[in-house]
Amino acid sequence: MLGKKTIKGRIGFALAIVLLVSFSLLPFAQILSTSLKHQYDWGNPSLIPQSINWDAYKELLGLTEAEEVEIPAAIQKILNNPKLSAEKKQAIAAKYTANDNLFPFGKYMLNSVIFSVGAASFSLVFSVMGAYSISRLRFKGQVVIQRSVLFVYMVGGVLLMVPLYQMAMNVGLASSLWGSAFCLFLIYIVQTLPVGMYMLGNYFRGIPFALEEAAMMDGCSRKEAIIKVVLPLSLPMLATVFIYCFIIGWNEYLFASVFLKQYPEFHTLPLALQELFVSKNAIWDRIMAASMLTLAPIVICFLFASRFMKGGKTDGGVKG
Amino acid sequence: MTPLERAEARFGWKLVAPTIVILGLLILYPLMYNVYLSFFDVQLNGSKTFVGLENYIKLLSNADYYSAIATTSLYLLGTVVGTTLLGLAMALLLRDPFMGRGLVNAAIMLPYVAPVISVVFGWQFLFDPISGVVNYLLVDLLGLWSERSNLIGDPDSALWVVVLFDIWKHAPIAYLLILSKLVSISRDQYEAAAIDGYGPVGRFFHVTLPELYFVLATVVLLRLIWNLNRFEDVYLLAPNVETLPIFTYYQAFTGVIDQGLAAATSVIQLGVLSIFIWFYIKKIMKW
Repeated sequence: MLGKKTIKGRIGFALAIVLLVSFSLLPFAQILSTSLKHQYDWGNPSLIPQSINWDAYKELLGLTEAEEVEIPAAIQKILNNPKLSAEKKQAIAAKYTANDNLFPFGKYMLNSVIFSVGAASFSLVFSVMGAYSISRLRFKGQVVIQRSVLFVYMVGGVLLMVPLYQMAMNVGLASSLWGSAFCLFLIYIVQTLPVGMYMLGNYFRGIPFALEEAAMMDGCSRKEAIIKVVLPLSLPMLATVFIYCFIIGWNEYLFASVFLKQYPEFHTLPLALQELFVSKNAIWDRIMAASMLTLAPIVICFLFASRFMKGGKTDGGVKG
Repeated sequence: MTPLERAEARFGWKLVAPTIVILGLLILYPLMYNVYLSFFDVQLNGSKTFVGLENYIKLLSNADYYSAIATTSLYLLGTVVGTTLLGLAMALLLRDPFMGRGLVNAAIMLPYVAPVISVVFGWQFLFDPISGVVNYLLVDLLGLWSERSNLIGDPDSALWVVVLFDIWKHAPIAYLLILSKLVSISRDQYEAAAIDGYGPVGRFFHVTLPELYFVLATVVLLRLIWNLNRFEDVYLLAPNVETLPIFTYYQAFTGVIDQGLAAATSVIQLGVLSIFIWFYIKKIMKW
C-alpha cells in the first residue's frame, strides 16, 4: 500500500522504520549510556562512553566496600574531652561517620517487590472469582456489577487521594508506619482489581461452556470444574493479568508519596528515586543506573508475557 | 426460579462478594465521601468544619484554577491528537509483514511498558540545558536558537515536553488498537477501490479511514479518559506543569494545605470524567 515495490518506496519505508525505532529507543539508549559514563563525559552528546564506568551499578548493588569516613580534627578534639559522657561521644562520632551518601537501593527494591507482588497476588485471586461470577453465572444484579467495574476501572487515583487519605486518618491508620503500609497495600489491590476483572471477564467469556459442562457431567462440582478446567485453560491469561497488576504496583508513585513519604525505610522505588533526584547529592550516573535497574524486571516480565499475548494482544490494552 | 438457578445465583454472589466489598468500600464510598468533604474545611489531621459552598466559591474565583483548566485542555489536545496520529502512522507502516517486524514491534512497545519513574530521568537528561542532547541538536547543530535553554524549567515549554513524553509513551497502545482493526479490512475492498481508479491516497481516504472511524473514536475517548487523570507522567517529569491532577495534589498535600478545596476540584473533575465514561459506555461499548 505504501508503494514498497519501487526502490524509492523501499528506502522511504526503511527510513521511516529507523526514525520510529530511534524515537522509541533514544531515551533508553541515553539512560544506559549515562549510567556507564564518567562525570567528565556527561556533556558529550555521543551515546558511546569514552570509557566504561561501572561504579554507579556497583554502588547501588552494594558491591563497593563502605568507605572509612575520617572524623575531622576539630571534632576529634571534642571527642577527646574527658568531661563529655560516653553516650554523647558516641552520638557525635556516629553523626560524623554515617555514610549518608549511600543509597540503599536493594531495600527499596525489596519494598517495591513486596508491595507489588503481594497486591497482585490478592488481586488475581479476587479477580478470578469476580470475573468468573460476572461472566459465567446468571443472577440478578450481575449487569449492574459488570458496568460498575468498568466505571471504577476508569476512575483515576487522583480523584480518590483526598477521601482515601481522610478515611485512613479517621480510622487512625494514617498516623502509624504499619497502618500506612497496610493502607497502601489495600489501595494497590483496589487499583489493580478492576483491570484484572475486566481482562479475565473477557477471557472467560471466550472459553466454551461445553468444556465445563462435560466436567460437571463427569461428576465434578462447579467449583471443581473451575479449578480443573477453566483455570488450567486460562493459565497464560492469569500470568498476563498477574504481570499487568504487578507492573501497576511497581509503577505507582502518587499513593506511595501520600502515605509513605515520612517513612523512608518503607519507600518504594519510584518514591525513593524521586527523593534521590530532588536531593542535592543526586548524581546523573547513579540516577540512570537506578533507572536501568528499575526497568530491568519490567522488561523481563514483558518479554515473558509477550509470548503469551500473541492471541489477545489488546485485551488489557485499554489501560494506560 | 428453580433450585438450580437459585444455587447458581447464590454461588455467583459468593464469588463476587469480596470484589464488591473492596471496590465499594475503597472506590465508590470514597467518591461519595469526597462530595461530602468538599463542603467542609478539612485539615490534614482529619478535623473538619462545615463551610457550605465556600470551597466551590473559592475555587471558581481562583485564577490558578482556570490556568490549570487551560493547561489541562492543551495537554489533552496535544496528547490525544499526537497519540492518535502517531498510532495510526505506526499501524499503517507496520501492517504488512517484513523482515524483523517482531524486533521493531518489541522496540516500539518498550516505552509503553517501561515504568514512568525509570524513564523520566532519561528525559530530564535529554532536555538538560548543559548536558542534554536536545539542546545540542537544536542550538549547536541546527542553530534554531541563539543559546541553550532549560526547556523543562520553563512551564510554557515544559508543557510540550510533557505532551511529547505522553505521545512517546502511549502511541504504542493506540497502534495496537488501530492495527487490530486495520488487519481485518479485506483485500477485496482495496481491489475494488483500485478498479474504481483510486490511487494509494484515495484508497486511504475512501477505504481505510471510514473502516477505522470507530476504532479511532475509541482511541480518542480512551486517551481523554486516562489523560484527564494523568498524574505521575506529568508530575515526575515536570512538576511545574500544573494540570488539574497536579493542581489538586498541591492543594491537598503541599504548601498551604486545603483538602476541602482539593475535594471540590476532584468533584468537578469526576463530573467531567463521568461524561467521557458515559460516552464510552454508550457509543463504544453500546450498552
